[in-house]
Amino acid sequence: MTHHTMPRLALALLGRFVPESDALAGDLIEEFQRGKSRIWLWLQVAAAIATSLLKRSRTIRPLRLVEVQPADALERSTRRYRDRSVNLGASPLPGVGGLGLVSLAMFVTCAAPHAWWLFLASALAGVSLGVVMIAMRPPSPGPPLTIRPEAAAR
Amino acid sequence: MPRRLLTDFELMLVLAILRLGDDAYGVQIAREIETTAGRRVLLGAAYAALDRLEDNGLVSSRTGSPTPERGGRAKRFFRVTARGVQAARLTRQALVTLWQDVPQLTEKRV
Repeated sequence: MTHHTMPRLALALLGRFVPESDALAGDLIEEFQRGKSRIWLWLQVAAAIATSLLKRSRTIRPLRLVEVQPADALERSTRRYRDRSVNLGASPLPGVGGLGLVSLAMFVTCAAPHAWWLFLASALAGVSLGVVMIAMRPPSPGPPLTIRPEAAAR
Repeated sequence: MPRRLLTDFELMLVLAILRLGDDAYGVQIAREIETTAGRRVLLGAAYAALDRLEDNGLVSSRTGSPTPERGGRAKRFFRVTARGVQAARLTRQALVTLWQDVPQLTEKRV
């Protein structure tokens, strides 16, 4: 019996952070439809993401000494230098930065200390926006190139 | 090559797959471990361990057909390979050997 609506954000996060998670997502949906709670589901998703990130951190990655392949490097060296936008917010996502928040905090502190709720609401909105942007970001084209110890030993 | 012994969780997964036979997929494996061994299983952790076992050639997997109750996602069925069975036997043998002649673990006969 279907008595739950599956949290789409949970599935989106699972698909974003856990590679090849289709079977796992199917298992979670199956169990959720059979009556498991939302807390159970989120716990499973969080654990799966944590396990995946831990596994990824243990994977041996080759050193990437140059940013581009040699053929690309030659081609790029002939181009004129172009200005690139700099992410002053130091955030991996353009548009989600800290400078706006800092300036708002300064404004509230100096000009309108009684309007502290404005700062709090902005901070919460910023965090929510960041989470949504991360969840909706398209997945990367494929897993990173890795070398396993047994393959390297051959 | 040194013989590969299984961790306790890997051993439970292998035994659950062997008990389930052809119907061994994520949910069923987790349920089998929970009902028979009383251990709660996180599905993500189970899949990570199963991936590791598959990388080592101890289990193999195949993808089933997508079903609507799973949101159109297919089941991944697992099977223990001959190497997996051998690894389970070796692990059991090692545990039994360790268990023997330990006075604290000797059961008192009434």
